[in-house]
Amino acid sequence: MEEAQNWSACLERVGSHGDREAFSALFAHFAPLLKSFLAAGAGQNSENIEELVQETMVKVWRKASNYNRSQSNANTWIYTIARNTRIDWIRKQIRQNPNQLHADDIYDAEATVTPHSSLIALRNKRDVSAEIKKLPPAQSEVLALMYFQGHSGQQVSEALNIPLGTVKSRVRLALKRLKIALAENELELEAQEEAHA
Amino acid sequence: MIGRHPDSALLVEYASGSLELAPSIAITTHIQFCDQCRRTVESLQAVGGEMLEEAASAPVSDNLLDNVFARIDSDSKDEQSLSNVQHEVRKAGGENEVLSELASTVPAYVRKFLPAEPLKWRFLSPSLKTATISVGEDVNELSFLKIKAGGKAPVHTHKGTEITVVLKGCFSDEEDLYQPGDFIVRHAGETHQPIAAQNEECICLSVLSAPIQLTGIKSMLNPFLSFAPS
Repeated sequence: MEEAQNWSACLERVGSHGDREAFSALFAHFAPLLKSFLAAGAGQNSENIEELVQETMVKVWRKASNYNRSQSNANTWIYTIARNTRIDWIRKQIRQNPNQLHADDIYDAEATVTPHSSLIALRNKRDVSAEIKKLPPAQSEVLALMYFQGHSGQQVSEALNIPLGTVKSRVRLALKRLKIALAENELELEAQEEAHA
Repeated sequence: MIGRHPDSALLVEYASGSLELAPSIAITTHIQFCDQCRRTVESLQAVGGEMLEEAASAPVSDNLLDNVFARIDSDSKDEQSLSNVQHEVRKAGGENEVLSELASTVPAYVRKFLPAEPLKWRFLSPSLKTATISVGEDVNELSFLKIKAGGKAPVHTHKGTEITVVLKGCFSDEEDLYQPGDFIVRHAGETHQPIAAQNEECICLSVLSAPIQLTGIKSMLNPFLSFAPS
């Protein structure tokens, strides 16, 4: 937790007065993580992965003034930038004429968060951070494939040779353990599954 | 009260970046209405943050940090003017006829996908019309749907998946009544007939992963239901 706060402070220093020392510290920590994270989802194009790391870190610098630690941890914020950079990059690879829309537009990156919702979100994030390492392997495997490899539920089902329904129920169980709220219709599914178990 | 939400696997696909553009737009639209799913997405992004933190550390080239600083120094001004241009493009969308009609009811987020030129509406039945929006993907078709007050959409079956997000007004089908913000998923093979509420027209955002098929006598219309992902 202390370390996470340090990274938040570094981001704030970069955002408020372009502190290059703080940015270098962030780079030293996050660039190697980003390299393996981005490489996992980039498939055969992984030889250019450092360009993607560079692109992500340039965006971190440029957007740092929007960073707000009451909304997200530094690692969450950098993750969303990396995810969006990867999406735009993959789209550029597969399309001759990429549309003008960027992942930042799709995800509404500049959306404001109400103080109330951010308080709840922060509490959730502390839970997430503590619980994620304790997930049963079957559940963390599914999440890892989705986050690292960028797999859809269907692709996970094919990769692990399990039915899509099983993928979905593992996702639901993982979210429940992470204390991430499920919508009502999912709670019903959950109850049905428990009744069958 | 929003009764229909994306399922958790879809939200994880969204938060982890594997979902295509059009369904992602549908989810961001839903969370403009639904604080619960917005918080879930925030938490799922926090999961992504933890995943990043747990990634194996892969050494980067010695000069990468210098390259990053060089980029920051050289083109930060260019980038600044580019983002201003994009902002202007979005404002141009604001002149759209539908926007002026919807401005007070549709989330600002949805407006930015409206093209600068007027939408091209096609009638699918006397009380249902649709306008396709180009978002640059080739798997799904994103469109706006408008059902007249009290109007019935044709009975139809889905060949693929259809996601509908209600933007304004209400509609019902055999199963339920849907209100603004509701996120409704219909899978292949499901047949239904949406009917708009009597008091006002219903406007929805729709994502189709494959053409829908009209059933019964209206199936003769199918050749006109061109599927045009763009």
